[in-house]
Amino acid sequence: MIDLFSLALTHGLLLLMALRLIGRADLDRDPPRDLAPDPEGSGEP
Amino acid sequence: MIDLGLFGFIAAILVLGIKRPFLWVLLYIYIDTLEPQDIGWQLTSALPVSMIAFCAAFGGWLLTDPKHGARFNFRQGLMLVLLGWCWVTTINADFPVEAAVKWEWVWKTLLFAIFVPLTITTRLRFEAVVLTMVLTAGAIVINGGIKTATGGGGYGVLHLFVDNNTGMYESSTISTVAIAIIPLILWAMKHGTVFPPDWRVKAFGYALILACVLMPIGTEARTGLLALAVLCVLMLRDVKRRFLYIGGAAVLGLMALPFLPQTYSARMSTLDSTDEDTSASTRLAVWQWTIDYANTHPMGGGFDAYRGNKFTYKLPVRTQNGANTSAVQFENHTDQARAYHSAVFEMLGEQGWPGLFLWLWIHFLGLWQMERIRRRWKERTAPDQRWQAPLAGALQYAQIIYLVGSLFQGIAYQPFILTLLGVQCALWTWFKLADSPARSRPRPAVPLPPPSDAVTAGGAPLR
Repeated sequence: MIDLFSLALTHGLLLLMALRLIGRADLDRDPPRDLAPDPEGSGEP
Repeated sequence: MIDLGLFGFIAAILVLGIKRPFLWVLLYIYIDTLEPQDIGWQLTSALPVSMIAFCAAFGGWLLTDPKHGARFNFRQGLMLVLLGWCWVTTINADFPVEAAVKWEWVWKTLLFAIFVPLTITTRLRFEAVVLTMVLTAGAIVINGGIKTATGGGGYGVLHLFVDNNTGMYESSTISTVAIAIIPLILWAMKHGTVFPPDWRVKAFGYALILACVLMPIGTEARTGLLALAVLCVLMLRDVKRRFLYIGGAAVLGLMALPFLPQTYSARMSTLDSTDEDTSASTRLAVWQWTIDYANTHPMGGGFDAYRGNKFTYKLPVRTQNGANTSAVQFENHTDQARAYHSAVFEMLGEQGWPGLFLWLWIHFLGLWQMERIRRRWKERTAPDQRWQAPLAGALQYAQIIYLVGSLFQGIAYQPFILTLLGVQCALWTWFKLADSPARSRPRPAVPLPPPSDAVTAGGAPLR
């Protein structure tokens, strides 16, 4: 029972992560502002 | 049921990876950590899932990945040299058959650690890899944590999914890894975007940390307690109110004492005494043998060279004479083919001085690189520049905890840790690119390609 619970919980979260990742454009390329080292350079959330 | 679930999970990630091939890299990390083929007894174990995931990860990257920011850095080069050196020592090994068995998994582990930095090129990928490592190790840790809390712990007793006591499931290894991932859990809780910080993430994160702390108690591995102590000291660097932290830690420790099982207290009390402990005495004797061996075989004896050792040492044996007196006699104790019980001596005995030097270089360079990133990005406050320094710090702490643990365990090629080194390499490359003059110029705001663009026709050959 404990085995099942720990596997189900973590695998559920891993699957949810995968589902969220496939819709994210920034998985393959950082937004341009992310590469600028200037601390004042970005203010977007 | 579990078998079907694991198989379904792997199949689902393989299918989702057709859309985003990077998921196959995560799948390999997952399989390499959890070894689901050993948990499942029919479907999952019947298929070479590890090989399928490795081929998918490599093929997917080669054929479809945009490879922006993928660079081969010096530390990867060092790992490649170590891989080549391991191959040379395997050919000339003292025990060719046994050496070949170890070489069979070590080369894959090292190759993946060299390859994985090429795939981790964006902030989201760093997060995804960290989450995969934490959640996959978390499966074992949550399992062990609940069993410990419900009284199922004990040295060599705690059952974690599988019946064997090897790899990640070895009690000292999982205790060390459990403590090493705590800084990564804290990072993901604070800087996560896949699971943005909210009360659910915090609740899960703290529960997972509690399970991590319970692992050394459940396994009664002394190395785990040492790792926990190291983490407590390391955290001093980051906490704002240090005296409050020290006081809180002391109170928590004292409060926990009555709840610890008696067997745990008894085992931990042997930490400072090596006299009557065969485990510690054997280690010291093996290490002495390894130094002597390396002096006569400076190029190493290849994997599993320890099989050639044989030594006699004096072990004190206490005998009870009456109610209040006891006598100590020293008896000769002979051991042979004893494992190194230390990554440092594992490297020295198997790969000789060149191998040990390379291994230490790879590790100390990582510590230095993480420190450099940490210091360089620490003061930055822009919303997208706050995650770098804490990630470098978390990776550095995890590595230090591993290094301390590795002094007492032969885990020089632990796949989980080598993947962690791969993430460090990737962060260093990312940092160098981000700090390079070419990148510091403002770039035009090019609209991002839609997700589907990232998946070109190249995904098909791996289906």
